[in-house]
Amino acid sequence: MGYFKDILVGGWSLVKGLEVTIKRIYRPVVTLQYPRHRIEMSPSYRGHIELKRFPDTGTHYCVACGTCMRVCPSQVIKLQGEKDKALDAKRVVHYYIDFSHCSLCGLCVESCPMQTLTFSKEYELADESRWDGVIDLVRYFEESAR
Amino acid sequence: MATTNSEPVLTKEYFLNLGPQHPSTHGVLRVLLKLDGEYIVEADPIIGYGHRGHEKMAENRTYKQFMPNPSRVDYLSGFLYNHGYVLAVEKLMGLEVPERAKYIRVICSELNRISSHLLWFGTFLMDLGAFTPFLYCFDDREVILDLLDYITGSRLTYCYCRIGGVAKDIDDQFIEGTLNFIKRLRSRWTDYHNLVTKNVIFIHRVKDIGIIDKNIALKYGVTGPNLRGCGVPYDVRKAEPYEIYEEVDFEIPVGEKGDIWDRYMVRLNEMEQSCRIIEQAIKKLPRGPVKASGVPVKIEPPKGEVYFPFESARGEAAFFIVSDGTEYPYRIRIRVPSFSNLQALTEVLPGTLVADTIAILGSIDIVVPEIDR
Repeated sequence: MGYFKDILVGGWSLVKGLEVTIKRIYRPVVTLQYPRHRIEMSPSYRGHIELKRFPDTGTHYCVACGTCMRVCPSQVIKLQGEKDKALDAKRVVHYYIDFSHCSLCGLCVESCPMQTLTFSKEYELADESRWDGVIDLVRYFEESAR
Repeated sequence: MATTNSEPVLTKEYFLNLGPQHPSTHGVLRVLLKLDGEYIVEADPIIGYGHRGHEKMAENRTYKQFMPNPSRVDYLSGFLYNHGYVLAVEKLMGLEVPERAKYIRVICSELNRISSHLLWFGTFLMDLGAFTPFLYCFDDREVILDLLDYITGSRLTYCYCRIGGVAKDIDDQFIEGTLNFIKRLRSRWTDYHNLVTKNVIFIHRVKDIGIIDKNIALKYGVTGPNLRGCGVPYDVRKAEPYEIYEEVDFEIPVGEKGDIWDRYMVRLNEMEQSCRIIEQAIKKLPRGPVKASGVPVKIEPPKGEVYFPFESARGEAAFFIVSDGTEYPYRIRIRVPSFSNLQALTEVLPGTLVADTIAILGSIDIVVPEIDR
């Protein structure tokens, strides 16, 4: 008697399970077909860092103080500054980051005294060579202006 | 010249390598099994394939620079580790954190705990051969990842807590999303129970299998849902409350026997308890700053040492920090729950079938990079 009861109860549990699956078929699809549908990044998304453009002056405020370079846990940042005679202030000439080593902790962004660093919204960063992760942010900044 | 082996070749017992690359081991874990037919005589977990040296790395990084590391120790409950590390440093410094920051941290921690348990739910059932629940719970988990992505900026390895608070404040959109998620998750329990808990095949595969005895669990230092499954109501959130866990009302779900079924039920109930904690925390969320004022730019805790345990999704994890008064920690030791949980298997696995080994390995919810760290 118990044998047949087990079969019936067990069989019914499988039917109930299938019911969940069948109901699900008629619900909207949640999968996003990625390369064809683009994803909107959240406002706090952290891509690689970039120099922030201030709208009042149309440029960045990096003075090559090197705080970001010293605070970085993975020694990702290398930068070089030069005194701009016209402005009578130090300005950054080269700002290299090796994105392939970056763990996106955001210490550089938080420690920047001029608050001129920000996270970009780029997320397709796969490359062919390990050297493709090395970006000159100053050049990146100039190119983004065009 | 061919040599003849005078000793007879033994064929009764033989060795089988489960892993290091095996679809059911959740990482590079190798278990050396001594088999007698289909039965296991001896099991020896071999670890260390995913060693990255986080503890050594800490000695060459300042307290702030170590911030991205803890969440990479256990990537599935990254927020909890990030939280725990920050709490340990704050305890060492004697820093007082604003109330609002504490609430925000707990809300995010519990969300992360649910996401970790949901992932376990999916992968554990996939080990048992059921693929459908995996897709359903990943759908639910995706909502949490989106919510946490919205405020922390990353989906898995969060670096949101700061020494003395959190990186940025939460807004109404996040709170609304969290409450909607809880409502959604609760409506899903019936589906999960119909699909899995009441399924006859599942019941036959998990009931009375992989019993971790209470004494063995205590001997090996098993913690978390695995220990609670044996019937020991031990939870760091209750035993040594930190943050706001004293002020919120929640229960510790416990099992009876300590078999796979108990561990499964404990984790499912724990998700519900986490929902309760989040709801209460949101209701009580005070206004105010989210970062303590007067936190020095250079973190230099006084000379001394601190041991800070906290409840990760897998059990009691802890940070032991020795400070020599400089900017760099002298030593950081991380106590990970998965290590003890895995070692208990050497006593549990003998006598079981190979097919059950996969189920037992899945049920204790190990994260191998956490063990190797």
